[in-house]
Amino acid sequence: MDNGVVVEQHTGKPNMKRKKMRDIHHLTPFWNMMSHLAIGLFSLACVYPFLFVVIISFTDEKALARDGYSFFPKQWSLDAYTYIFKTSDQLLRSYGVTLFITVVGTLLSLAIVSLYAYAISRSYFHFRGFFSFIAFFTMLFGGGLVPSYIVVSQVLHLKDTIWALILPMCVSAFSILIMRTFFKTMVPDAIIESGKIDGAGEFRVFFYLVLPISLPGLATIGLFSALGYWNDWFNALLYIDDAKLLPLQSLLIKIETNIQFILQNSAVSGGTERSAIARSLPAETTRMAMVVLATVPIIFAYPFFQRYFVQGLTIGAVKE
Amino acid sequence: MKKSLLLVLSFVMLAAFTLAGCSSSKDSKSSEGTADTGKGTETQVQQEKKEDPVTLIWYTIGGPQKDQDKVMTEVNKYLVDKINTKIDLKVIDWGDYSQKMQVIAASGEPFDIAFTSSWAFNYVESARKGYFYELDQLLEESGKGIKEELNPAFLEGSKVNGHNYAIPTNKELPAQAVWRFNKNLVDKYKLDITKATTLESLEPMLKTVKENEPDVYPIPSNIGPFLPFDFALEGIPVGVALNSTDLKMVNIWDSPEAKQVFSTMRKYYQAGYLPPDVATKQGNEFEKTGKWLVDKQHTVPFADVSWSESMQYPIISTPIHEPLVFNWSVTGSMQAISAKTKHPKQAMEFLNLLNTDKFLRNLVNNGIEGVHYKKLSEGIYEPIPDSGYSMPAFTLGNMFLLDKLKNDPADKWEQYKKFNDSAKNAPLLGFQFDPTNVMTEIANVKNAVDEFGPSLNTGSVDPDKILPKAIEKLKAQGIDKIIEEAQKQVDAWRASK
Amino acid sequence: MEGLMRWLKMVGRNKALLLMVLPGAVWFLLFCYLPMPGAIIAFKDYKFSTDGFLASIIESDWIGLKNFEYLFKTEDSWIIVRNTLLYNAVFIVLGTTLSVIVAIIISQIANKKMAKIYQTGMFLPHFLSWVIVSYFVFSFLSVDKGVLNQFLTFIGVDPVFWYSEKEYWPYILVFVNLWKGVGYGSVIYLAAIVGIDKSYFEAAMIDGASKWQQIRKITIPMITPIIVIMFILAVGGIFRADFGLFYQVPRDTGALYPVTNVIDTFVYRGLKVTGNIGMSTAAGLYQAVVGFVLVIVTNFIVRKINKEQALF
Repeated sequence: MDNGVVVEQHTGKPNMKRKKMRDIHHLTPFWNMMSHLAIGLFSLACVYPFLFVVIISFTDEKALARDGYSFFPKQWSLDAYTYIFKTSDQLLRSYGVTLFITVVGTLLSLAIVSLYAYAISRSYFHFRGFFSFIAFFTMLFGGGLVPSYIVVSQVLHLKDTIWALILPMCVSAFSILIMRTFFKTMVPDAIIESGKIDGAGEFRVFFYLVLPISLPGLATIGLFSALGYWNDWFNALLYIDDAKLLPLQSLLIKIETNIQFILQNSAVSGGTERSAIARSLPAETTRMAMVVLATVPIIFAYPFFQRYFVQGLTIGAVKE
Repeated sequence: MKKSLLLVLSFVMLAAFTLAGCSSSKDSKSSEGTADTGKGTETQVQQEKKEDPVTLIWYTIGGPQKDQDKVMTEVNKYLVDKINTKIDLKVIDWGDYSQKMQVIAASGEPFDIAFTSSWAFNYVESARKGYFYELDQLLEESGKGIKEELNPAFLEGSKVNGHNYAIPTNKELPAQAVWRFNKNLVDKYKLDITKATTLESLEPMLKTVKENEPDVYPIPSNIGPFLPFDFALEGIPVGVALNSTDLKMVNIWDSPEAKQVFSTMRKYYQAGYLPPDVATKQGNEFEKTGKWLVDKQHTVPFADVSWSESMQYPIISTPIHEPLVFNWSVTGSMQAISAKTKHPKQAMEFLNLLNTDKFLRNLVNNGIEGVHYKKLSEGIYEPIPDSGYSMPAFTLGNMFLLDKLKNDPADKWEQYKKFNDSAKNAPLLGFQFDPTNVMTEIANVKNAVDEFGPSLNTGSVDPDKILPKAIEKLKAQGIDKIIEEAQKQVDAWRASK
Repeated sequence: MEGLMRWLKMVGRNKALLLMVLPGAVWFLLFCYLPMPGAIIAFKDYKFSTDGFLASIIESDWIGLKNFEYLFKTEDSWIIVRNTLLYNAVFIVLGTTLSVIVAIIISQIANKKMAKIYQTGMFLPHFLSWVIVSYFVFSFLSVDKGVLNQFLTFIGVDPVFWYSEKEYWPYILVFVNLWKGVGYGSVIYLAAIVGIDKSYFEAAMIDGASKWQQIRKITIPMITPIIVIMFILAVGGIFRADFGLFYQVPRDTGALYPVTNVIDTFVYRGLKVTGNIGMSTAAGLYQAVVGFVLVIVTNFIVRKINKEQALF
């Protein structure tokens, strides 16, 4: 960091005079290019394996076994996708389940988290210390798997219902504490005071004054929550026996854990059964196709959140 | 801070009380239930027979089936007629089964029957924890058919502390390790595989193949070379020699046999007979590419045929040792009754029927005739591809009742029986090690075993240098205490026999 | 008595805010605090009773700290603690620094379309499970078929046995973890930057401050509270390791254990044989207590420096 600053002072200074007319808030072309280069390369490194996943999913299975991963496979094939659509009418259902829990769960989560976080962000809330603490405490301490399971299945009777996929993860202490900081630093007390003077109640202030200026923060925790729901498979593993309620990600993870299980359990009763099971598992191309099918929709949903934290980034460009 | 902590503590206390309230109300109910099962079973069942059929919740392992509901409707129709019982079948995926069942069982959630085995939802461990109903008396009362059908070694070998807690599946009883060869390469280089008995005897074949096919690794994966010991506990190198008469527990890695095996593997590894990364976990792509010569598997009658079918090129095998009945082979696939069941008698009646009734067994396994399979002739069937129902045969019950496929030999099940009768008992058959007193040592030793095991087994490291280090680490982690405990238990077991 | 009155008065005055925390508080009570007493099995020799889970706990014998013993008994216990702490410390420091840098750079890029594309790209690794990531790492590092060794051979360097040379793995694991997490981590900082009141920058520009000065004097101070909170929360998790990263990515290779075995993988391997839930609960409690103590200490230090930025 320090280094960068020093370099800038050397290269930047001569430019300053020459380009006095230039908007000072723009980076110099050199640094602009460097930014693009650094970030571009990094994001390329991130996209690269995913691109590979897509290509493998379209590769012929035999070619894959023979040649290994290749960016330009010798034989292309749609088999993986036709296999998935032919063998599982589950897929469309699971899309539906995942979409439902993601949307409902995220909205519910945003509501509960933002209310809670707002309350504990106010310095005049007498119990803020206590409520911050009980939220934080749950990040570290838990009762373990079995007690949680008992609460969800035997106390709340949520087993084999869609709520078993939504409620256990609808509040996150992490999101609350992040959001609390957002409220603390991004919402000036003056705004709230002015609202109060106008006679608005706490809820009114929250909905009409605070929420609108907290969109970046809300988008962030909303995104985290949505991703959490989209990627969740563990609750389904525990609480769902009914195939009608299986979310997308659990289909994918099931395939992966089955493969791991078979490969690691050479003891699986007798060699013939083991290879019979192994044979019934989908090929690697199919697995990759599942990854693609499970990821592409959420990537398309991503810009919806993104516009709140990338748009309007043209910070100093707003000139009045 | 301090105040908050105090408040949280009282919060937790409150939660504890609520929880106590919730489950104690349940407790009273369920304890009544168990009291019933003790004495009142007979009369209760008599009454129920005239009333509504009992529904049993049955968890088993496998891939969930699309047409499960359809088949279960048929099954239930049949069962209501026969024993006035219905089944609510829940099939859990291979990889999820252990974890899910452990949570279900530990939380006390009701179920009646569950699949258990030495490799998924561990049988001995679960029986010892008290998850399962003790079956000795039930077997006498309602499980006579099972006793007649099963080779007695199954029930004898699966006893935990002298009692049976699950019904083993009637299938292959012993385990027999074989060298499994890719016949294409065997024929191409005219290898004489009848000479393949020991690990050392493979050498000339490996050499021939490597010299002529440099891009083939003749041994394609970590084969887990055969060690002539009967292990006290899966995955921990403590056990007795297979030919032992005095049942002396030893540190298996510290034996001359292990040293010999590791050195041979090292020689093979250095000669390039194994892939350089072999100690790292990998898939089984070699089965698809056919670029391999030999690995180690456990066989059953006609295994070569089914291996060849599943790999789509010919496979041939030679035995490494005679068929031996191990604890883990006896408990390879079982169905247990839950300790919390309210209907133990019906559950046993159902299991009895499943293991003796040809129609039911085939229905549960292959689905409905005409929908999921075609009947070619008496006892021969052909599955309809992608029909939405087909269960893994070896997990459910008596395999010898199953119809055969068109290509199956006519004497398939007779050969199985012959195979079972030919088996000898391994020295520890019927002895189940109780790890309670050495839990800490087992957890620590297991980490050391995983650290050194694969690289020694594959020859990736020099045993002269690494093996002493590994043994030293095992000792540091407390393997001697495990050996001592195992010795104590096995001596007591022997004295009681 | 007087205290109670005062307390009731406080409740009355904070009625609206208490109503706001109510749904969340109920959730915490049900899903976190209700199961929490279950952690008692860490101190018990858990035996199942047919009368239910609670009866099982009550009837099981107290065994003190015996369930914790395996975590402390051998030379491994030092290695796993060291690995867990060091890796997490590096992840926290490098992860935070890189995420902040990435967020600042993205916020500076004038071409918003490109900024969005980069940002989306960086997010993709988050969607790949560790198992899939391990396939790719293997396709790079495999001794005979790996891309990296093919490259090394091409430029005339001897191929490396990546999966048996442990000295490379700290770098590989740190790299893989950052690769997977930085895009995700930068979102929070990006949101914080966007949330900064624009008037600060305008004022700075009128004063003729350069971009670097703006970053140093406005952006970084403004997002410091969120960095501090993220840091404190991360410290709480410093004793918990990402199982997938340390188990799947090195493919459970024994030769690498000295640098890849962490508390979570150690516990997983150790309990595979016996499946003892008392011992697994004990491990979780151990991690929580250490995390808790560290957070209290960190929070105390932060409080000394700036009360406003502390967690509580």
